[in-house]
Amino acid sequence: MSRREEILSTVRSVPSLPAAAAEVVRLIRDPEVGIAEISRAIEHDPGLTSNLLRMANSAYFGIARSVGSVQEAAVCLGTKRIFQMVIASAVSPLVQRPVKGYDLPAGKLWEHSVCVAAGAEQLAEELKLEAPSHLFTAGLLHDVGKLVLGTFVDVDAGPIMALAFDEEMSFEVAEAQVLGINHAEVGAALLDSWNLPKEIVDADRWHHDPEAFPGDDTLVVDLVHVADALSMMQGIGAGSDGLNYRSCAAVTERLKLKTAVTEVVACHTVAKLGELRDLFTHGKGR
Amino acid sequence: MQVSSRADDVLVTYSLGSCVGLSLYDPKAGVGGLIHCMLPLSKIDPAKAKASPCMFVDTGIPLLLTKVYELGATRKGLIAKVAGGAKLLDQKSLFRIGERNYTVLRKILWKNNILIESESVGGTVARTVYLYMSNGVTTIKSRGKEVAL
Repeated sequence: MSRREEILSTVRSVPSLPAAAAEVVRLIRDPEVGIAEISRAIEHDPGLTSNLLRMANSAYFGIARSVGSVQEAAVCLGTKRIFQMVIASAVSPLVQRPVKGYDLPAGKLWEHSVCVAAGAEQLAEELKLEAPSHLFTAGLLHDVGKLVLGTFVDVDAGPIMALAFDEEMSFEVAEAQVLGINHAEVGAALLDSWNLPKEIVDADRWHHDPEAFPGDDTLVVDLVHVADALSMMQGIGAGSDGLNYRSCAAVTERLKLKTAVTEVVACHTVAKLGELRDLFTHGKGR
Repeated sequence: MQVSSRADDVLVTYSLGSCVGLSLYDPKAGVGGLIHCMLPLSKIDPAKAKASPCMFVDTGIPLLLTKVYELGATRKGLIAKVAGGAKLLDQKSLFRIGERNYTVLRKILWKNNILIESESVGGTVARTVYLYMSNGVTTIKSRGKEVAL
């Protein structure tokens, strides 16, 4: 078995989405299923229900009035937001773990994930683009591959770091050179095994290399790519890989990005971060 | 931003990416300060700058200077050390916040007649900065290694 196959085979050992969340995702993706049935599926799981209500009443996701039931949340916020909140609730315990190899203490990958999710939405708003419905989730999940690959990066840290920092090779290229696969590809395999929409899987797969993305609709990949760069620059979730990645010139052209926009997005995203980060941690951590 | 005149304090700011960190220490007065600024100029959001002046270099640095002077530090006594301002790998990118942060920081220090004694700036690594108030030593921790600045 090659190193790459060995790594891909461990994707199966990562916990899958909790059953309740997987069921809700399935129902939301089924056009025949109505809000009442989706709400009932959420209410079967007390943890999911309480997380969802907390999110529905937060400044980030919520609306002006308080929401008391899942059904009310679903009606007021729509299934797009419900989907985002169910995934966030399901992956938060996983993503809050410390990540070996990248030297991320507990909570730091989560902080980075939330920063990229919110940053991508903020960037869309700043560019006056309608945020695609899976943008938040794509941002939130773009680095889940690090959870799997971290163990392998840890073992081969020496050669990977040498390629990245001495030879100025983009970190994910160094990963692929040494391990036969990078964290974006591992992440995409993981998300695919969770049966998540292709848009989300693709954004993860190509977030460091948007130019190689074979699809036509590049918007989600592009926005996640830029939000990821901005988050690393703010030092949020920058681990042993630091900022050792390349930004894609084609993306800045496609989005007609200006320096001022990136700074405004960074500024506004950070302001929203505290609330989002703490939605699941109940005052733990910072 | 943190300021202190207590010898048993260790001031720390975690994970500077493109942000810049400035450590100030006056050995005579036993006063130190450390700040972490994210963006160069407050004009992009004056309301935010009013609420969180430390977010921006042009509002944060003057505030840090004011605070260490209030604790008894003097301009002549200050030892200034700078860290951060990292960037992505590409040379010709839009994302030059780190470079801009550093330029604005230098300008403000120059205007205030403060020389930078040492610095660890640029590159692609994230840095954590410590200022040990017991002896005024500033260190940088990056990729697991802590070295004096």
